Amino acid sequence: MSETYDFLFKFLVIGSAGAGKSCLLHQFIENKFKQDSNHTIGVEFGSRVVNVGGKTVKLQIWDTAGQERFRSVTRSYYRGAAGALLVYDITSRETYNALTNWLTDARTLASPNIVIILCGNKKDLDAEREVTFLEASRFAQENELMFLETSALTGENVEEGFLKCARTILNKIDSGELDPERMGSGIQYGDASLRQLRQPRGTTTQNKQQCNC
Amino acid sequence: MMERAMEQLNVQLSRLTRSLRRARTVELPEDNETAVYTLMPMVMADQHRSVSELLLNSKFDVNYAFGRVKRSLLHIAANCGSVECLVLLLKRGANPNYQDISGCTPLHLAARNGQKKCMGKLLEYNADVNICNNEGLTAIHWLAVNGRTELLHDLVQHVSNVDVEDAMGQTALHVACQNGHKTTVLCLLDSGADINRPNVSGATPLYFACSHGQRDTAQILLSRGAKYLADKNGITPLDLCVQGGYGETCEILIQHHARLFQMLIQMTQNEDVKENMLRQVLEHVSQQSDSHYQKVLTSLAEVATTNGHKLLSLSSSYEAQMKSLLRIVRIFCHVFRLGPSSPNNGNDMGYNGNKTPRSQVFKPLELLWHSLDEWLMLISTELERSTKNPSLSSSSSEIASLLLKQRESDPSRTTLSLLEGEAYVDGEDVISMTANRLSAVIQAFYMSCSCQMPQGMTSPRFIEFVCKHDEVLKCFVTRNPKIIFNHFHFLLECPELMSRFMHIIKNQPFKDRCEWFYEHLLAGQPDSDMVHRPVNESDILLIHRDSIFRSSCEMVSKSTNEKLKQGIAVRFHGEEGMGQGVVREWFDILSNEIINPDYALFTQSADGTTFQPNSNSSVNPDHLNYFQFAGQILGLALYHRQLVNIYFTRSFYKHILGIPVNYQDVSSIDPEYAKNLQWILDNDISDLGLELTFSVETDVFGAMEEVPLKPGGSSILVTQDNKAEYVQLVTELRMTRAIQPQINAFLQGFHTFIPPSLIQLFDEYELELLLSGMPEMDVEDWCRNTEYTSGYDTEDPVIQWFWKVVRSLTQEERVLLLQFVTGSSRVPHGGFAFLMGGSGLQKFTIAAVPYTSNLLPTSSTCINMLKLPEYPTQEILRDRLLVALHCGSYGYTMA
Repeated sequence: MSETYDFLFKFLVIGSAGAGKSCLLHQFIENKFKQDSNHTIGVEFGSRVVNVGGKTVKLQIWDTAGQERFRSVTRSYYRGAAGALLVYDITSRETYNALTNWLTDARTLASPNIVIILCGNKKDLDAEREVTFLEASRFAQENELMFLETSALTGENVEEGFLKCARTILNKIDSGELDPERMGSGIQYGDASLRQLRQPRGTTTQNKQQCNC
Repeated sequence: MMERAMEQLNVQLSRLTRSLRRARTVELPEDNETAVYTLMPMVMADQHRSVSELLLNSKFDVNYAFGRVKRSLLHIAANCGSVECLVLLLKRGANPNYQDISGCTPLHLAARNGQKKCMGKLLEYNADVNICNNEGLTAIHWLAVNGRTELLHDLVQHVSNVDVEDAMGQTALHVACQNGHKTTVLCLLDSGADINRPNVSGATPLYFACSHGQRDTAQILLSRGAKYLADKNGITPLDLCVQGGYGETCEILIQHHARLFQMLIQMTQNEDVKENMLRQVLEHVSQQSDSHYQKVLTSLAEVATTNGHKLLSLSSSYEAQMKSLLRIVRIFCHVFRLGPSSPNNGNDMGYNGNKTPRSQVFKPLELLWHSLDEWLMLISTELERSTKNPSLSSSSSEIASLLLKQRESDPSRTTLSLLEGEAYVDGEDVISMTANRLSAVIQAFYMSCSCQMPQGMTSPRFIEFVCKHDEVLKCFVTRNPKIIFNHFHFLLECPELMSRFMHIIKNQPFKDRCEWFYEHLLAGQPDSDMVHRPVNESDILLIHRDSIFRSSCEMVSKSTNEKLKQGIAVRFHGEEGMGQGVVREWFDILSNEIINPDYALFTQSADGTTFQPNSNSSVNPDHLNYFQFAGQILGLALYHRQLVNIYFTRSFYKHILGIPVNYQDVSSIDPEYAKNLQWILDNDISDLGLELTFSVETDVFGAMEEVPLKPGGSSILVTQDNKAEYVQLVTELRMTRAIQPQINAFLQGFHTFIPPSLIQLFDEYELELLLSGMPEMDVEDWCRNTEYTSGYDTEDPVIQWFWKVVRSLTQEERVLLLQFVTGSSRVPHGGFAFLMGGSGLQKFTIAAVPYTSNLLPTSSTCINMLKLPEYPTQEILRDRLLVALHCGSYGYTMA
């Protein structure tokens, strides 16, 4: 009836228009490249249950519009996000230059503790590259971001991007750096979480693990 | 020889005596079948002496099986608890394990009927407790079904397997759990029954307990470590509890498996779950303690917010997400309104005790309201942009093609304009794509705001919200008026907001407004499409035909409004009949009585067919009570969609609707005076020396009295500048002030069934249709009684077309046409020949008007004249006529 998971993380996908945010999400959820993609209007939604370090985590992912006119609407979805994929297009310096703004938004509006991974998308278009790997990784270093170059077309590093972000959050929970109980942490315990230590022996139901969104 | 004969005779004689003394045979018949029926009643009554005596010298087979189900006498004894007979039969070698046609042994029957002693004896004689009947049931199943714990206790000692399954794989524990026999369950568990045993469909004892809401049994099972297992179809014990609305059992489940709490909350998103049952369960859980209350509501608020955000994602299913969001918020509001369980803060809306404010639970929802706000602001910006660039937004396809052309011709320059243009193009799209979704969230927002307010009050926050986004909301409903009916229910509850949208609502088809009207009028009534339903004898309105008005008044005042809303049952004194037909008849003749001149409540208007309150009704001392009653009857009729046989004046319908009257309405009571008022308005009165002041002289019981129209009116002169005000005031005096108490009393009655906010969805013409129904229209009669002027005659092709078109119109459209031309939707009694005009009989008239392109038909209602342009074809005539009917049948303009 419903999927079992240990945690639920709220994720954001942010970045300038045309960077390929929706395609990344589509690739992650459907394992397919989204042909003829339109501009996202407002915010779209997707979710998937993944396995990270022995835990099942449901990722509730909000894919935001990159266009400036939607900025105020998309910002209203930031609150309570645990992780974010900050996406730019390696063939467009413009999208790279806007990163600082997106980063500020995320850290101020979501949570200072938000775990962000920088994704240089369209890795497959290396010939038209305008932003080098080195340059971007330096930016990531300076801003304490994880960094990957991805391709929504081939699927390269897409899964890794989401998983890496989730893994980091799990580590922070384990180390006590993040408290899932705190309001607005963007983390919820799932129905299979460890909190139910007092439950009698062997009571977990085995339900199929699949996304039913 | 003699002696033997004597002896035989003696034996026979003593037998006869014995038989006679005992009132039964003393000798068993030889054949088993007859013998067994002789014995059976004795066994049933446990007459063991007789049985023993009869059996003594007979060759009767004690195991003889008889009857349809092939039972032996031992079965009968066990079944009836005839313990002495049972022992007797056993002693005589009856087989304790003999099975009847359904496989039941005597032990089964004894167990089923709780025959403790019989069971004991059967066991003594080595009855086998493990025998199954044809359905696989054993004695312990029977004991468990009926909760005979004590007997079970004795029996289980002998049972080799307490988990013996019937044909459905059910054990004794299953059936005990299903029936909630606590001690039986404990006994079985103590005897080693498998607590998690699934039956053939995978249902465990806990599953059975939950399926019937056996709270205590579930508690026992869980505390003994029962696993929480779904059946083979994936249906869980929690699902079952929610299905049945078993809050207490749910609570027990959650106590033992905390994770089920989230599952329960998540179920609000599942449209297959019955909302009222789930709500019942959540209510119960929330009532456990303050912290439960907080937790339920906060979790619901979180789920609602996620759902709301999903709804605002354009790729989600609007229908499903909208329903889901509204369902969750509905449940949320309901639970919130209940308040926490602790009694000391029952009437405190703000704080619970000393800890967290109750409003805390709304916090997760704030995220959603914030997003809603941002969305509406975004749309407002888009709207502004498109109004600044009307050329761009007027037709998006045009721009797109234009841009494409530009792009081909001048690829270097257009990139910028293309980007801008695109924004506008899908700016239009954004509104059409999001309007429905945003409106549904607005509906949810209203619900959430309202549940924090006392009933019947609109939250200031929501009013502020509507004012802030006024423009966007109006844009939504103008583009898609269905939104009003689907999501803007708040309008019906907030008159202050309704007025903003009234003009848009009034433009919606009558049918849609009717549906909305009844949907809200009847909301909360269980089965709304029945006027008549089975009722208590005491709720029947018993009416005397010879005093219909008085007895109806009496009966209605005795009943309660709530009962009358649920349904009306009428019976005429001394008659059998009841049902829809009688109710209809009652409304029909009662409405005729209401306007009976003997009561002096209503007077006929100038045209003789419509009525309005009689300003002199006070000759009847009880008149105001009667007006209230009349209002009640009209309201009740409307409530139950019954038609009445009264037509009121236009001005009285306006009074019901709370619409101000105008001078033209005066014509219904005083057509000459109305003409004079018209004349004043039409002509410049500056130099006429009328010397009129803002006062009139009226006749009050024979004495002329000066009545000022406004304070100090007798010294204010009527001038060209203020004549409109004069006409309005004098109209109100004639039409309203004279009958104000009567109107008020009538409305007081009417509003007990029909809230003013709902009735204002209609105008006076529609109200007439609602109350009195669509008139029958005989087109042939109409045609026969029509006159033609200014060039038309019956043979004229335009006239021929006209009647062809009229015949093709729907009933509703014909009514509109009649209204358009005569100002009334009614055909007078006797047909069109009796159509009245401003001064006497005035037939329906069609006048020719020279045709110019796009010219619409017009009318002069006071002379029942349709001014029909000389259209070149029938199609154009039809088209123009329909346009005029649908847009122009209400409201007057001076032609």
